Amino acid sequence: MSVADQTQNMAAPAGRTLFGRLTVHQTRVFWGWVFLSPWIIGFLAFYLAPMVASLVFTFTDLQLTKPDEVQFVGLANYRTLLKDQYVGKSLKVTLSYMLIALPISIIIPLALATLLNSKNLWGRRLFRTLFYMPYMVPIISVTYIFNGFLNAQSGWLNRFLDILGISGPNWLYNSTWIYPALLMIGIWGTGNAMLTLLASMQTVPTELYEAARVDGAGPVTVFSKITLPLITPMIFYNLILATIALFRYFDIPYILSRGTGGPNDITLFFNIYFYRVAFEYDRMGYGATLAWLMFVVALVVTIFLFVTARKWVYYAGGSD
Amino acid sequence: MTRKLAILVVLLAVMSTLVVPSSPAQAQDGEPVTVTWFIGLGAGGQPEHQAAQNAVVEQFNAEHDDIELELVVADFDVSRDTLSTLIASGDAPDIIGPVGIGGSNDYAGTFLDLQPIIDELDYDLSRWNPSLIEFYRDPVEGLTALPFATYPSFLFFNRDLFDAAGVDYPPQTFGEPYADGDEWNVDKLREVSMLLTLDANGNNATSADFDPQNIVQFGFAPQWWGDDIRSAVTSPFGAGTFYNAETGEAYMPDNWREGIKWIYAGWHDDHFMPNYDYQQSDMLLAGNVFNSNNVAMAYSHLWYTCCLLDVPNWDIAVVPSYEGEYTAKMHADTFRILEYTEHPVEAFQVLDYLVAGPAMPALLEAYAATPADEVYLQPFLDNLDETFTQGVNWDVVLESANYPDNPNHESWLPNYSEAVVAIQNWSLHMQATPGLDVDAEIDNLLATLQPIFDAAAE
Repeated sequence: MSVADQTQNMAAPAGRTLFGRLTVHQTRVFWGWVFLSPWIIGFLAFYLAPMVASLVFTFTDLQLTKPDEVQFVGLANYRTLLKDQYVGKSLKVTLSYMLIALPISIIIPLALATLLNSKNLWGRRLFRTLFYMPYMVPIISVTYIFNGFLNAQSGWLNRFLDILGISGPNWLYNSTWIYPALLMIGIWGTGNAMLTLLASMQTVPTELYEAARVDGAGPVTVFSKITLPLITPMIFYNLILATIALFRYFDIPYILSRGTGGPNDITLFFNIYFYRVAFEYDRMGYGATLAWLMFVVALVVTIFLFVTARKWVYYAGGSD
Repeated sequence: MTRKLAILVVLLAVMSTLVVPSSPAQAQDGEPVTVTWFIGLGAGGQPEHQAAQNAVVEQFNAEHDDIELELVVADFDVSRDTLSTLIASGDAPDIIGPVGIGGSNDYAGTFLDLQPIIDELDYDLSRWNPSLIEFYRDPVEGLTALPFATYPSFLFFNRDLFDAAGVDYPPQTFGEPYADGDEWNVDKLREVSMLLTLDANGNNATSADFDPQNIVQFGFAPQWWGDDIRSAVTSPFGAGTFYNAETGEAYMPDNWREGIKWIYAGWHDDHFMPNYDYQQSDMLLAGNVFNSNNVAMAYSHLWYTCCLLDVPNWDIAVVPSYEGEYTAKMHADTFRILEYTEHPVEAFQVLDYLVAGPAMPALLEAYAATPADEVYLQPFLDNLDETFTQGVNWDVVLESANYPDNPNHESWLPNYSEAVVAIQNWSLHMQATPGLDVDAEIDNLLATLQPIFDAAAE
């Protein structure tokens, strides 16, 4: 008998184990599963089962209002997917906006974090609070506030531009200006990304900065050669979050366009089209197919980001 | 290992019974049958509505030992999703409503045919005008509802704004000319509306100095038109539909084509109607335009009295004519039993209680709806008079009920939800975009609708 076994048996007389039959190790494993079981049940019931169900739905013509009439339609929904002009259109809208919004969603919080990390800035704590606070306002409220702020006739922004002698555009119903309007609203909520990047910057060892300065490095060199590489894990983390958020982008364009995806379908993001098909048209089977398409596209993009991350994300303790 | 797995499975199963709600208990002998009433697809969501509905449920349950009436209330914005989910999950309510024609279209094919129950119970339908009963009879589904409430439509006008502009009020009797002797028609409505549309400098829309970028008061607006051009154009331009049932084609009736041009000019050229930006502005309360006191006339239904909180001195007038014909579009709300009900007879008892029983007067008052049962009409109007003390000519309501739109502007279209979304998108596009070729845009709309209709046929 090994020392470990002896110890185990000494610590666990038969009368104190579960049902009087399990060893301490087995008891620990048992209770481990017990404590994990709420999560496991939640995962099975609320994640895995709905995912499997939605995959099954893709092979049916399910309508929520007529569940008794559901029929197996094979791959018909997938064939519809290939013919549906709005699928390509809404994917293009989503990916185009992503190309514009993703860099901005990283650059602006990074710039703000750099600014707020500066020892020369007066009232840093106040500014950190002020920049973070908008993130705490519910996005629905923010959207309605911006709906008024950007109104072409009565919005404060155009009134301000009027004072400067500039005729403000129709921010919310003009194909050229709607994306800048959406970006403005998005920037309003960059507080969280800013805060995580700021926290990451503050973990950079000060001796690295001191050594660099001794070697004559200027602020730009210090930032590009020391700060930036060392916070790349946090940049990558924010990049992944922003990518997923953009694939889930719905609330803001839905409220601003009143669900139309207008003007001229330029805000017909994929999720708006998915919502329209599944819930407004009550074509749940086809809606599930659209949802799975989005899942696959998001998965591919995320895998791509992880693969490329190996080339530019620096992990001090290794890539694991 | 097998034992561990078995224990784990048993444990998970036990815990699952704790977290997963059990199925609703089935009625046992002697126990009351539960009938659920779903509210949210139309009226019913306002606080004053809910108080009346709760009182009805309480009263019903106190009077009935054999039926337990339960309310399920959803916010209007999510009511379709909520109801659809309830149906899909096997928890379909027994009764839905009040719901209008458009709201019912989303659930076409799921309503219980009441005729067999009516025959079985020898239920008396004579209290209602037979034409109203036929209104709810579908050739395929049968009699899907009983009449409850109607909401005639008319012009709401703000006396104070008319007085301030020195403009005469619109007529309150059908056939009556405008104060200057001209016929009260769409041209006169346009003229009067432009006189009442003012910019920040006090110029009206007929003035050469009028500044359309700084309008502070509008002459006319369709109130809460649901971004649906069918609602905006029917009154005053007459009834119509986008679907030709004989040919299966999407088409635009001539009266609607002309009406849409009139409306489009009102938004973008004549400026007497608020375009998209103005309608969304704070100045017009982002939608409740007439209540802002910055719109002189608004076209709506009787139910709009719910939300006229800040206009102290309003009255109502008749719709203007178009080519000598009057059309006052109609909304009609009622309650319907879903075919999924397990207790059709008990549900019918509740339905009777709501549309013809003790609950009816209180609900009609709460919803500000004209009773379909004419016995209750005068008390209903007397009650409205007590609420709105500025003196409203309620005869307009009664007279307007004689000019309903047929076909109704919310009447069924193939692939209804998809077609309506297309119409709404197009309507918003027209309201928001100046400088369009209206005829070409109408052709675009028809080209969009045709495949939607075709898909339904497939």
